[in-house]
Amino acid sequence: MRLCRLLPFALLFCLSLGAQDPVLKDTFLQGKALWATQGDREGAAARFEKVVQTLAPQAASLEAAWIQVLSESYNWLAVLDDRHAQGKPKVQGHLQALIDLNPDFEVDRALTSQRLVALFDRLKAEKYAPVKLSYAPEGGILTVDGRPSAALPRKFLPFGARTLRYSRPGFAPAELSLEIAPREAKAADFTLARTSSAVTLHVQPSGAEVLLDGRSLGHTRGQAGPEALDLAVPLGLRPEDLSEAFVIADLAPGKHLLELRAPCFRAKVLQLDESLATPWADHTLEPLRLEPSKGTLSVTSAWAGGELFLSGQSQGPLPVSQLPVCSGPYDLLVRFPGGGFSQRITVEDGKALAVEARPKPRLACLGLEGETDFTGRARFLSLLDALGAQLQQVAYLPPRPGETPKQALARVKASREAELILLATPVPDKVIHRIELMVATLDGEEDRLLVKPLEQDPLGPLAARLNTVPPTQEPGLGLSLLDVPGEPGPWVLAASEAAQKAGIQVGKAITQANGKPLPSVRDLRLVMAGAQGSVALSQGGVPVVLPIQSEGLEIPLSAADLCYPSVLAHLRLQYAGAKGDEASLARLNLGLALMHFRKYDKAIDLLRDARLSRVSGVSQGTLDYHMGLCFLRLGSTYQAEAAQAFRQAMKYPQATLLGPDGPLVAPLARQALEDLK
Amino acid sequence: MSFAPPWFRTPAVLFCLAPALVQGAVQAPVQDGELAERLYRSGERAYAAKSYKEALDTWGQLLQSVPGSEFAPRALLELARHQVEVERKPEAAMPYLDRMKAEYIRAPEAADGLLLRGILLARQARRPADLKDAMAEFNRVLDLFPDSPAVPGARLRLGRAWRDQGQWGRALRQFVEVFRARPDAAEAPRAMLEAAETMDLLGDLPGCLRMLQQLRDRAPKSPEALDAAWRIAVRVKHRLQKPPFNNEGAWPSGRTKWLKTPTLLALASEGDLLLYQNDLDRAFRLHHGDLVPVGPAATGVKALVVPPTGDLWLLSKAGLLRGQDPALVPLGGLGAITGAALDRWGALWVADAKTPALTVFSSDGASRTVASPTANALASLPSGGVIIAADADRKLLFLDADGQPRTVVPYGKDLPASFRYVIALASDGAGQVAVLVDGGDFGEGVMVLGPDGAVLRQATFKSLGINGRITSLALDRSGGLVLCDRRNDLLIRLN
Repeated sequence: MRLCRLLPFALLFCLSLGAQDPVLKDTFLQGKALWATQGDREGAAARFEKVVQTLAPQAASLEAAWIQVLSESYNWLAVLDDRHAQGKPKVQGHLQALIDLNPDFEVDRALTSQRLVALFDRLKAEKYAPVKLSYAPEGGILTVDGRPSAALPRKFLPFGARTLRYSRPGFAPAELSLEIAPREAKAADFTLARTSSAVTLHVQPSGAEVLLDGRSLGHTRGQAGPEALDLAVPLGLRPEDLSEAFVIADLAPGKHLLELRAPCFRAKVLQLDESLATPWADHTLEPLRLEPSKGTLSVTSAWAGGELFLSGQSQGPLPVSQLPVCSGPYDLLVRFPGGGFSQRITVEDGKALAVEARPKPRLACLGLEGETDFTGRARFLSLLDALGAQLQQVAYLPPRPGETPKQALARVKASREAELILLATPVPDKVIHRIELMVATLDGEEDRLLVKPLEQDPLGPLAARLNTVPPTQEPGLGLSLLDVPGEPGPWVLAASEAAQKAGIQVGKAITQANGKPLPSVRDLRLVMAGAQGSVALSQGGVPVVLPIQSEGLEIPLSAADLCYPSVLAHLRLQYAGAKGDEASLARLNLGLALMHFRKYDKAIDLLRDARLSRVSGVSQGTLDYHMGLCFLRLGSTYQAEAAQAFRQAMKYPQATLLGPDGPLVAPLARQALEDLK
Repeated sequence: MSFAPPWFRTPAVLFCLAPALVQGAVQAPVQDGELAERLYRSGERAYAAKSYKEALDTWGQLLQSVPGSEFAPRALLELARHQVEVERKPEAAMPYLDRMKAEYIRAPEAADGLLLRGILLARQARRPADLKDAMAEFNRVLDLFPDSPAVPGARLRLGRAWRDQGQWGRALRQFVEVFRARPDAAEAPRAMLEAAETMDLLGDLPGCLRMLQQLRDRAPKSPEALDAAWRIAVRVKHRLQKPPFNNEGAWPSGRTKWLKTPTLLALASEGDLLLYQNDLDRAFRLHHGDLVPVGPAATGVKALVVPPTGDLWLLSKAGLLRGQDPALVPLGGLGAITGAALDRWGALWVADAKTPALTVFSSDGASRTVASPTANALASLPSGGVIIAADADRKLLFLDADGQPRTVVPYGKDLPASFRYVIALASDGAGQVAVLVDGGDFGEGVMVLGPDGAVLRQATFKSLGINGRITSLALDRSGGLVLCDRRNDLLIRLN
């Protein structure tokens, strides 16, 4: 527990050390300069003390360069303290710390007095004995008792039994044991036998994944040192621009495919010739440079207030235009004040990707009501958790662990983080074999569905209904077409003025669309679905190009395959992002959805202020007719208003119900008016 | 597998349930519910196995022992349906439905019960005013059970009832409401078809055609979509394209001298041609080029009638032969029958060249006369009325369901010359009427009239090169006209 509390502080310390790297190095160099140029012993000692205080607690995990800095600092402190009476007692401590840190360290004899050197050697001889080592070939890795240690020709090892192991890629490692005793010099020779070729490579940038024949070997890391100077300079690079050496050992005979991958860079694939594998040898490849790979992303939305997130990272409010993005896959998410939009995208190198974000309603699952146990409860709960994977038209927020449905409802209502809620309630019985699924809007419009917990896919019907969104528009050409048996294609029953001006002849069949035979009305719909902007139709003569227009549709009042709370939520979002006729059409359909819930007063409220500029198809007359129906449903009090609405509807003789080819509104309104009399 | 004979099963079931029955009388309602469910399920099982008696007994027991159970109205509904669908005794279903209405009006099953009751009442109706009770039941379904799956069925029937009363505007509202509110209901295709036909009656031909196309688009595999296809075809051909008649010659496929004095033609409900061959004293169905005998032999048949049941009625001086029934129904001594048609109420309208009125025979055999000029030909109309030709008055009269003339077309109207006689009339069920004429300056020929009496297409036989003796005609479902040539023993098709 105490450790846990200390963890954040330790983390902060590490971060601060990293941040202090240049400062610490500077402090170390200042110490040296103060003594060398000004003879400022106190100033120099203070700086070395600071370096020691910072690095000593981390000694076990320091990199080689910092161990060297720390070792030199101990050496300097011993020398400086030795020159001052009050510091003399600390000298032995500095030397002892130096030996414990790095017994192989050679004190600077130009700086250190003979007496101190002798003291250093004496102290070292109390615990360590020298061992003379030879390595063939050199450049490998030495471990002493399993811990990495510099592969020096002379090393000081602590007394006792020691295991030394020397290895190098492409060679079989060698291991030997030594018994280190006081005043007894030992020697050991490592001669490694080659077992394969080894290929060394440096990559720019560092951090690239290295794959050999499709198998990942790891990632390059760090920065190359001065030893890579000869490799870097010809390419106009500095050594630190390259990664540390990455060695591919155990290269099997034959050709190999080497692939390098790094985020934001184009993958690079090169073939390793078989001469690299046999005969066995060490090879160093020319540094490999990966080319940056980026595309641009533009995200727009007709809905206000969206904020873009790419794989969890905020990219700011919409619209986002030509945002440079590393190529690759992303989870694109746009959070709107109401609803959300998510899409898995792949940004391609050098290409521009544009996304139109249309918010989806969010469905928050409140969970399973009550604690009643029943067979299949655990399975049902896990299915509820995973329901989101089946939903395409709503964003699913799974139930939160440990939260009761009541608490979840309070949370959702307070935060408005979802437009829809889902609650599962077991239907009370001796044995629970039915569960009621309720989907509702936050305003209380609800839909219920009974399912059996033990059936194969109890949430399948709900998912199907949630995934069904009725269209409110369809593409059209201003034509009424019939499939007349015996005619070669769709027969033109009626055409708009524009279509007739363009050359369409009423009473004649259309034989071709976009140059291809057109056997039926259904085929024309398919052509329109795949066309962009216009369709060229032929009635046997010169093709006539007609623009594709959007024609309004009504949602059905009570279709079994729809989840009406979800339909309402979709339409509300659609309305929020729509203007003009599109907004009025959304209002009309919102009114119809409310009529489904028999909320005729609310429907009237919506329909009253909607104005459709269209006069044919689903248009203002349609809207007026529905308003009349709503007033009728409110009872005799509103008969006058109903009659007025029907009279209004009759003013639009071309207005239809359902869609552009639906029944005319006027005769229905006329009849309704007569019935009112 | 059970070896018990069916007669044993019901008592056995009841015996097994006897302890429960006894206990049920004294124990809590929860156990009543269990007993009711077990009885209901037992009945269901027996019914599925077609052990009807066992099922009916078990459900009867349920009604007797646990009348307050939620399964009681279900049992009542099953009993009523059995009487209608299996026993074909609708009158036996009514007591169950009456009880349902009186005692279980709050149960969800009451919606189906009321609908079935309404349907049975509508079937009993013999005139428009008789539909009142049926319509009340349909309206009850709509008012009391607005969310019930029975609603589309009730609306469809309500629409038909309005249509049968001549209230086409009201009928259309109901039909439209069926598919507007419940586009996925089983009744939706039928409602679309009936809405389309009603639009035509209201004079909205484009609306009718668009609706038929919608039907084909939305329910392409339904039987109604097949119906819609030919209805579009004949309307477009006759009323919009109106091409001049073209004599295709002997039909089918150039067959000549293959009949024995054909005298009468009619169209079966599925589109096959029905014809009567005088020398063979028999009617035949022409199916894929083959003649199949239909009904019993009958001499001197003067009119063919196709009832909704799909069989064929033959009218002769001797009487009426209905389908396979060899018994002759006397027709009140009508000796010069010139045409006949069945109306919506099942009454047979008969025209007789020697009777200055139409004679209407109701299904129970009673007859009445409807004032009319002497009719030389008669055919039914989709509006529920008939069209008659009165040579003496030189007029074609479109009569409504009450026999009142709605449209009068003088002979020769819209023609280059007038004719004197109408030999035969034929309708296609989509509003068009074909007229076979003779005499006058026009001479022998044909014309097709629209529902408003306008001449849509016409031709003289002389212009078509036809020399035979044409006695009858029929409008086919491709927009063609088939003529019956008794002299040359063949059929001729005009396209």
